[in-house]
Amino acid sequence: MIPVESYIALSALLFVIGGIGFLVRRNVLVTLMSIEIMLNAANLALVAFNRSGFAHVDGQAFAGASHTGQLFAFFIIAAEAAEVAVGLAIVLSLYRLRRTVRSDEADLLRN
Amino acid sequence: MFSLFPAHDYALIAVILGMPLLGAFVNGIWGKRLGDAAVKLMALVALGVSFAAAVVAFIMLADHVGAEKNEHVKLTWTAWEWMHTTGGYGGSNVPIDVTFSIDALNGVMMLVITGVGFLIHLYATSYMEGDPGYARFFAYLNLFVFAMLVLVLGDNLPLLFVGWEGVGLCSYLLIGFWYENPANAAAGKKAFIANRIGDFGLLCAMFLLAHYTDSLDWNGIARGAHNLILPGEPYRVYVWPLGNGQYTGLLKFLQPAHPVTISAATAVGLALLLGCTGKSAQIPLYVWLPDAMAGPTPVSALIHAATMVTAGVYLICRLSFVFVLSPFVMMVVAIVGAATALLAASIALVQNDIKKVLAYSTVSQLGFMFLGVGVGAFTAGFFHVFTHAFFKACLFLGAGSVIHAMHARIHDDTAAQDVRLMGGLRKWLPITHWTFAAATAAIIGLPLTSGFFSKDEILYRAFVDHTVSPITAAHSYEPPPWIGPTLFWVAFVAAVMTAFYMCRLYFLTFWGDFKGWTVGRPSLLAKEELEHGANGHDHADHEHHEDLTTPGYPPHESPWQMTVPLVVLAVFALIAGFLNPGFHIVREKPMDHWLEPVFKAATEHAVLFGHGNDEAWAEHMELPLGLCGIAAFLIGTGLAYYFYVAKKGEPAKRAAEAMPALHQLLLDKWRVDEFYDATVIAAVDSLADTSAIVDKNVVDAILARLTSTIVATAGTLLRAVQTGVVQVYAATMVVGIALIAWFFAAPHASYTVVDDGNDDYVVTAAPGVGYGYRWDSDGDGTPDKASFGPDSTLKLHVVPGKDVTVNLEVKNTFGLVKKTAIHVTRPNAPVSSL
Repeated sequence: MIPVESYIALSALLFVIGGIGFLVRRNVLVTLMSIEIMLNAANLALVAFNRSGFAHVDGQAFAGASHTGQLFAFFIIAAEAAEVAVGLAIVLSLYRLRRTVRSDEADLLRN
Repeated sequence: MFSLFPAHDYALIAVILGMPLLGAFVNGIWGKRLGDAAVKLMALVALGVSFAAAVVAFIMLADHVGAEKNEHVKLTWTAWEWMHTTGGYGGSNVPIDVTFSIDALNGVMMLVITGVGFLIHLYATSYMEGDPGYARFFAYLNLFVFAMLVLVLGDNLPLLFVGWEGVGLCSYLLIGFWYENPANAAAGKKAFIANRIGDFGLLCAMFLLAHYTDSLDWNGIARGAHNLILPGEPYRVYVWPLGNGQYTGLLKFLQPAHPVTISAATAVGLALLLGCTGKSAQIPLYVWLPDAMAGPTPVSALIHAATMVTAGVYLICRLSFVFVLSPFVMMVVAIVGAATALLAASIALVQNDIKKVLAYSTVSQLGFMFLGVGVGAFTAGFFHVFTHAFFKACLFLGAGSVIHAMHARIHDDTAAQDVRLMGGLRKWLPITHWTFAAATAAIIGLPLTSGFFSKDEILYRAFVDHTVSPITAAHSYEPPPWIGPTLFWVAFVAAVMTAFYMCRLYFLTFWGDFKGWTVGRPSLLAKEELEHGANGHDHADHEHHEDLTTPGYPPHESPWQMTVPLVVLAVFALIAGFLNPGFHIVREKPMDHWLEPVFKAATEHAVLFGHGNDEAWAEHMELPLGLCGIAAFLIGTGLAYYFYVAKKGEPAKRAAEAMPALHQLLLDKWRVDEFYDATVIAAVDSLADTSAIVDKNVVDAILARLTSTIVATAGTLLRAVQTGVVQVYAATMVVGIALIAWFFAAPHASYTVVDDGNDDYVVTAAPGVGYGYRWDSDGDGTPDKASFGPDSTLKLHVVPGKDVTVNLEVKNTFGLVKKTAIHVTRPNAPVSSL
């Protein structure tokens, strides 16, 4: 069985990739994708912990019997879908307004 | 009827009060949309129903009085409980409820307000015809009647104050009714501000009464009034230094050797008097009333002659039992009254504006009322309020009728009121003329008219009365014996002047030849033709927007809505005196008898006759003093007839030319306004200028501009950070999160040191998640125990003058360790790092 540390390492790697992508890329679409990667990193950590964690029922511990992590992951997927729907709509109207999808060119609030 | 409205829950008062309020509400909100006819109907019905209810209430009151053998009967109605305050003695509870009551005194006032008010409303429906603010006018007028009824029917001082301010507001609104003219708006402001000064006095009196008598309703004040003259320093009011304070340092020279104190009764009386001089236009606050004539004439008649300005006299009558406690205050009231009567009468002698003459006449007559109540003749003073309401309302309405007629001819607001342009108006205005003559007869004291009886009673009582403190106190003040005769002769001169100026006004207006033909516009007909056969009634359809180059019509009589009130008021002006006739014409004076229960408590021991309470002497003096009153009437009238009828104004001109300075001084109203301008108003203005400088250079420059500069500079600097690039914000956020994470990940070795007594100190390390502690209690660098434990406190023993150093190590969940040294030094303890 793959130890939980491997999952967490992968999750941390994905999160860092997403975070750096978010910070350095200027294309709004790529930025959105970076956010997706970060969220999925969190999802991965959740389900991994869920598998290795214990559920406590009447004082007894059962390995892998709890579903809290999975449930959380599903909620995050739903939230992600909503976020993408809104995010893409914003990108679309940004493009219509400014003829660009670069975030450093969409700086109406500057100074 | 009696079971429907029991005396202790007399809900009929709600109708009396509610109808004018309803009228004001309806006309105020929907007046413009309702149209003039509906506005007229609403206003008249409101006042009519209110008057009818007042009559019913009055009859029921008389029944109660008859049934209860002339006790002080009150019909009371509590609308709701309002608020509570705390009294001065023992912190007792002083309830202030919205309670109204009708007794003998305000019952009469209520009838006058609603009755005369109704007549004046009727008059105004015609007088104000075609005015663009018709609905607004009647809304204000109804609101005034409501406020005035609250004033007189209120059963406690705060409620009276509500009405007091309400009538002041309505007065202000109606003086400035034609506010497009700046002079009118200024007159309204002047009235309002002068009244504010008086209100300050009334408020002070209210606070003092609540403090000393533990009550603010009439019965309660009467019960606690004896507290106002308790002997002994603690019960007196410290005038200087204020409130018995101490001046120290540089101000020490202000500290008197002995504090100046007056009795609480004197303080309350003087404060109330200040309030009354404001509302009732007495010296020193009378200056607003003559200017108040800027309002429409029905307003002058209702507010500035018949009702509102008598509120001060009413208040003195209402609190007569407080006033008589201080003979000094009584004397001041009488002196203020007599001085005002004389001053205002002297100004009225030479004024040429018909309303100005009547205004100064009102001030003068109010002075007579103050003189009456000031010498303890409360019934006489109040009776003069009653009769004055009729004849002065009649005079003002008559003047309004004259102005109405003149305005139709002259079309100039100022010229239409100038008596020099009138004359001979009795030909065209017969009803106005006769009613004006009747009211003039009453005010100048033609024997057997109302003014004769009421004024003579005041003169007589001024001469013979002598007020003393009802309770012999060490500080009680005794008025000098010469004060009575002096007041009498001052009032006598004022009465002569009254007769003179009123007859002058009457003769100039209605007798002689009409002098207004050539003013403003040419006449329609030859003068002779007009005088022989032209009838003013045919030309009632005058329009107020005529072409002024075409000839105008002659003056004409007013419509019935204006003449009917005149006739009713004139009849009352002639006969109302028989409600309280002097000279033993009737066995018992009805008014005296009716008001006796109200004033008995106040006057019984306080108001005596002069010459050591010599009743026979007072009785004996009535006839000669009465003859003096008649002599005043004869002298004044005779002089006026000689001056203005027999000699056609020649002697007046010669007198003016002989003493031009005096004449000018009188024309300028003794230049009191200029005096106030130079002193009080200039002082306030300079204070305002100083404040403006401070405002500009301190508030604006330092406080406002400096603050805004700091904010703007900070904004400019911080704007550089605001790049508008999302990724920069995100990076900043990441840094912030990292810092917060570090704060939570690092251990914190915080502690408190508490002095436990007996040289013991307890050091307590702050708690944290997963924290373990390791102590080094001797400070040698080696921990007491090798491992970290849960014990977060350490007890220390430190003798004075010694130093102890303790090391504390804290280890958190992540295994990070933080070390800190704690120094406990005596005597500097306790210490803390938090």
